[in-house]
Amino acid sequence: MAQRLDLLDPAEVARLGGIEIVAEGVVEGFLAGLHRSPFRGFSVEFTEHRAYQAGDELKYLDWRILGRSDRLFVKQFEEETNLRSMILVDASRSMAWQGTPERLTKRAYADRLAAALALILLRQRDATGLVTFDDQVRQVIPARVKTGQWTRIVRGLLDTPDGLGTAAHAALQRLTALLARRGMVVLISDLLFDRELALAALRYLRHRGHQVVVFHLMDPAEVELSGPPEVRFKDPESAVSVVVRPRELARAYADTVRREIAAWRKACRRHGIAYHHVQTDMPFGLALRLLT
Amino acid sequence: MSFLHPLALLGLAAAAIPALLHLLQRRIPPQVDFPPVRYLSAAERESARRLKFRHLLLLILRTALIVTIVLAAARPLVPLRSGGAHQPTAAVIILDNSPSSGAVIDGGLVLDRLRVAAHSSIARTTSADRVWLILCDGVLRGGSREALLATIDSTEPGWVRLDLVQAIERAARIVNAQPLTGREVHVLSDLQRTALASNRADVPNGVSVLALAPGRGAPNRGIASVRVSEGAAVIELSGSMLGTGAAGASQPIPVTVRIGGERPNRGEIVARGLATPSEAGGAATRAAVTVPLPAQSLAPGWRVGEAALEPDELRADDRRPFAWRVAPPAKIMATPSAGSFVAAALAVLLEGKRIVEGRDVVISGGEVPASPRAIMQPPADPALVGQANRALASRGVPWRWGQPATPGVLASLELALLNGVPMQRRYRIEGAGSAAQGTGDVLATVNGEPWLVRSGSVVLLGSRLDTAWTALPAAPGFVPFVDALVNRIVMGEAEVVPAEGAPHVEFRTRGTDTIGATVFGPDPRESDLTPASPALVTAALGGKDRTSVLSADRFAAERFSGTRRADAGGMLLLLALLLATTELGVATRTR
Repeated sequence: MAQRLDLLDPAEVARLGGIEIVAEGVVEGFLAGLHRSPFRGFSVEFTEHRAYQAGDELKYLDWRILGRSDRLFVKQFEEETNLRSMILVDASRSMAWQGTPERLTKRAYADRLAAALALILLRQRDATGLVTFDDQVRQVIPARVKTGQWTRIVRGLLDTPDGLGTAAHAALQRLTALLARRGMVVLISDLLFDRELALAALRYLRHRGHQVVVFHLMDPAEVELSGPPEVRFKDPESAVSVVVRPRELARAYADTVRREIAAWRKACRRHGIAYHHVQTDMPFGLALRLLT
Repeated sequence: MSFLHPLALLGLAAAAIPALLHLLQRRIPPQVDFPPVRYLSAAERESARRLKFRHLLLLILRTALIVTIVLAAARPLVPLRSGGAHQPTAAVIILDNSPSSGAVIDGGLVLDRLRVAAHSSIARTTSADRVWLILCDGVLRGGSREALLATIDSTEPGWVRLDLVQAIERAARIVNAQPLTGREVHVLSDLQRTALASNRADVPNGVSVLALAPGRGAPNRGIASVRVSEGAAVIELSGSMLGTGAAGASQPIPVTVRIGGERPNRGEIVARGLATPSEAGGAATRAAVTVPLPAQSLAPGWRVGEAALEPDELRADDRRPFAWRVAPPAKIMATPSAGSFVAAALAVLLEGKRIVEGRDVVISGGEVPASPRAIMQPPADPALVGQANRALASRGVPWRWGQPATPGVLASLELALLNGVPMQRRYRIEGAGSAAQGTGDVLATVNGEPWLVRSGSVVLLGSRLDTAWTALPAAPGFVPFVDALVNRIVMGEAEVVPAEGAPHVEFRTRGTDTIGATVFGPDPRESDLTPASPALVTAALGGKDRTSVLSADRFAAERFSGTRRADAGGMLLLLALLLATTELGVATRTR
């Protein structure tokens, strides 16, 4: 029996190939698990022709061109959508961190999760776009549903280098200008920025009628403190450092993290924002299932 | 505090290890990227006080743990009030087995109580100690612990009074000379008031005198002395609460005198009398009785008798022997040159039938009589001194009158009544150069020079018995002095001398003649069983800072306590274990 990639360890899945392969494999497994077709019920609109390639379904073959010119062309369509989704990926330096080499960095996990999510949305003929940001917006791919949009999104993810600090509220404010039509906004971030400012931007999106989903990414090592007897921990973004004894502070730290997660969850719930805490060792399928 | 292994204390330097490790660990911590530093900072802010307290507590616990382990390795010896071993100690045990220790009080022998304490003191000593034992004889006994224990076990009430103050001074000097850590004198005595009332012991600093508190006193009476003269025995009693009856009133004390007889009721003469106590300080301490003796019915010679009281708490002083010589009156004649005072005294003695007229003894004033026995005063005329000396020499007397000597005061062991009598004029009595005279012939001195000497049957005086020469003729003791001269001294007899010891009589002889007697008995002061107050004991035995009067329990606890030590190593190891457990708990539970 073939393994479902969406339920495997993310790091193992990542070793299978690039983002596209991983995302496709994850989405295939994820959609198979849903036991329903995501494509049913969508209307389509013809957009262009292209040369037939082996494997293309024959039902899209344009028989009239074949009859007139004896050449094989397939019709391509742009599905009509009733949802515009924008995926916001935090590309700050803190996202490029991993607790152990055996795990994905938060950024790698976020990229794959974003790619998989985009693929699902696009397959549902939802217009999907991408914004990557750190202390400023790095990439903006407007929401589209046409063929190649997923490839552009993946390329946008790959082309976004690890950034510097995080200024989520600035990026979100700019995003509000890009999202003229109501839709879904998915924020994938470690949320290591000012909670009130970020929530203000998210509240504004909600005010504009957007459905807002927050994936709070954390490495397991960020949840349970560990390390040598005494260590200087440095924030890669702000260069602020603190010397602690992990064994002494572990319990207080875990309590602080729990309180922080609870605070985010409570604040998001209060404003109608879906909040999901995701650790980078969580299989992608389980993370995606949080949306259903 | 001292240590069995003091070198181990060098390990105390290790106590700095926790602090050093703490500092070294803090100095170069590895640096690690960690994005959620803001969470760390918040957690640290919240836990700062708790962590600081924990760090401090752990530092203290770990330092204390090391210190405790090092101290345990050094084996500290801590002073103890009871139990434990003591450091090497020099100790003198004074077991006062003087006659008063033979008293039976509260159904037990006083000495038994003292012996138990002494036995216990010796038993507590170790091989590192030096211990001596002093009994009432004053002899310092050393030896092994077993030998001393055997001596104590075999000790019985003695007959000699122990000079307690002197014994303690001696004991203190001995232990003070020992190069040992502890110096103690254990005084096990009934601490009679009479033994401590007059003297003060000089105890060196550093010597501890521990005295077992005396038991309660008891009423007792004893025969202090028996003196026979002029056909009567004068018996003096001493003791504590003499004659106290059931109602507390003084009652006459029956005294029995027995003379002669090897066995009771076989030729024995018995006389009885009642002694009347005399009050002194609210309690009768002295009593006396004169018991007439049938001297006329006794043949001449030395007689031995015994005065006895009814048995009481102290049996040793209930009987006292005595001796006296039954002799016919001396036949005396005085020459005109002997002086009027001598003539008057002889008249008194004649009237009292102490002498009769005769020529056996002649008292002269410078001339040498031809009688068998002569008592010679210096001639009144200094010009006749040379002639008198030549006469003495011709008679073989090895003494002669010398130059007039300085005035002075009489002193005599033989004739106590002469002591203190002033002498205005005198001749120095000098030896004639031959070796015939001895110091034993000098019976009285003035300024250390002979004044009354005896050579065979001749007695020489340095002064005339005249008030122009000496105050003696005007003194009350003059007649008894003349009596002693004519009846005893010129006869070559010595006085009956009292001595301390088991009651008995020893006669002194010269050739085949008995010339005196020594009557042995306990010291009269032993009869007073009144114990000294703790304040008096403390003052007499070295002072409050050196002497402690302790009950039996306290005595057992305090002896050797000044140097008593216990190895605290085990306790420290237990403490270290407790500290380690606490440290483990703090290190694991407080994370």
